[in-house]
Amino acid sequence: MLRKRIIFTLIYSDGFFNQSRNFRLQSVGNLGWLEKNYKFQEIAFALDELVVLNASRKEKNMADFAGMIRKLVDDVFIPVAAGGGISSMDDAEVLFQSGADKIVLNSALHQNPILIRNLVKKYGSQSIVGSIDYRKSEGNYEVYINDGNYKLDLYLEEYLEKVITLDIGEIYLNSMDKDGTGFGFDHEVLERIKEIVTLPLIIAGGAGNENHLMAALKLDAISAVATANLFNFIGDGLPKARKKILESGENIANWTDNVF
Amino acid sequence: MKIVIVDYGMGNINSIVGALKYVGAKEISVSSDFNQLKKADKIILPGVGSFGKAMEQITLKSLDAYLKELVLEQHVPILGICLGMQLLGVSSTEDGSNYGLGFINGNITKFDNLKVKVPHVGFNQVVANRDSLLYEGLPDISDFYFTHSYRMTTHENINQSICHYQDQFVASFEMGHIAGTQFHPELSQTNGLKLLKNFIEKL
Repeated sequence: MLRKRIIFTLIYSDGFFNQSRNFRLQSVGNLGWLEKNYKFQEIAFALDELVVLNASRKEKNMADFAGMIRKLVDDVFIPVAAGGGISSMDDAEVLFQSGADKIVLNSALHQNPILIRNLVKKYGSQSIVGSIDYRKSEGNYEVYINDGNYKLDLYLEEYLEKVITLDIGEIYLNSMDKDGTGFGFDHEVLERIKEIVTLPLIIAGGAGNENHLMAALKLDAISAVATANLFNFIGDGLPKARKKILESGENIANWTDNVF
Repeated sequence: MKIVIVDYGMGNINSIVGALKYVGAKEISVSSDFNQLKKADKIILPGVGSFGKAMEQITLKSLDAYLKELVLEQHVPILGICLGMQLLGVSSTEDGSNYGLGFINGNITKFDNLKVKVPHVGFNQVVANRDSLLYEGLPDISDFYFTHSYRMTTHENINQSICHYQDQFVASFEMGHIAGTQFHPELSQTNGLKLLKNFIEKL
């Protein structure tokens, strides 16, 4: 049976990893801090995937970001998806060459669909994750691009329908309202979009503890849950959460202790 | 022991190199040069991207001829990973219709997006063929990481291990020294590391 996935998302900006709350960034620490507090090589054994996003509000420096990815993925044997500011084939190639297994695109879904199509052609649908940020307003779901700064003139449902025609591999759906709150995922939005999303769907925004992850993993519409909360899962928080979720009988992967 | 990862310009090879090192491989090179390939004790054929484009690159670099000589005539063990495994098969319907290397009898077709979500992404359970050395030390059913829209099926016994998505498909095969995995062992945590270790030591 296809397992559901638990994904950890790192929000990077100009040398530092960040806690994001409703898209306001709070710098937490650099790669050294992350290694110390998360012991990434060990934590990775509790994760299905890692997503790393360059959320810099300045001009995004692809070389710096790629360099960080290269260091981060050493001895991490899980899929890594990277993105933030990809605006050319070269940007994508740099990230793949630096150890990314997939790339994540957000603004380009709207601004440069031709780039998306070319990326799909070169790297295959399964290498391309489409990220969408949305916010609820008066009963409607509005879509934002450019790190949540620019509101599009169409609602989430229409946008998803359009994005899916680009033949990408997955959707990473992030609630800006829930982002960083720790109040739990936005389950409500799924009712609106579950029929539209014919691709694997990752939801992000709001996970504060393992109960939130577990509640969302139970939903049919969801393929994966993502958390970017650096504070709530610090230390051995993630391995503990995974163990609890596994023991509850949830449909997630299980790995051998016996390599050597 | 020298392992050569065939480089034909497609996909992220870093994680394969990292995983091989982790399980003890000392000498690893990434190359499309026949002189390098000739020295290989084991060959890995990786691959991400589309079948047609990959075969085009392989033919362009004469890798089809090199691989035939080394694998079919000199019996150098080979492991195809993901698209690399599919390329070892007979044909694929991706990008129209394309012939593969034809080392084993398997055909590649697309999942039906009316029946399942495509691509097939994530860890899925593989029922190990107990005649396959790749799975030594692993349980009868183990989780491996898949990410693909096309899959191999076959009517023949190619010593396959099976995964279920839409229908049964070939998760891996092992015909003597010719093996392939549809999943990514290098992205499959300890299960994948164990399998790579088995490839290095047992095939």
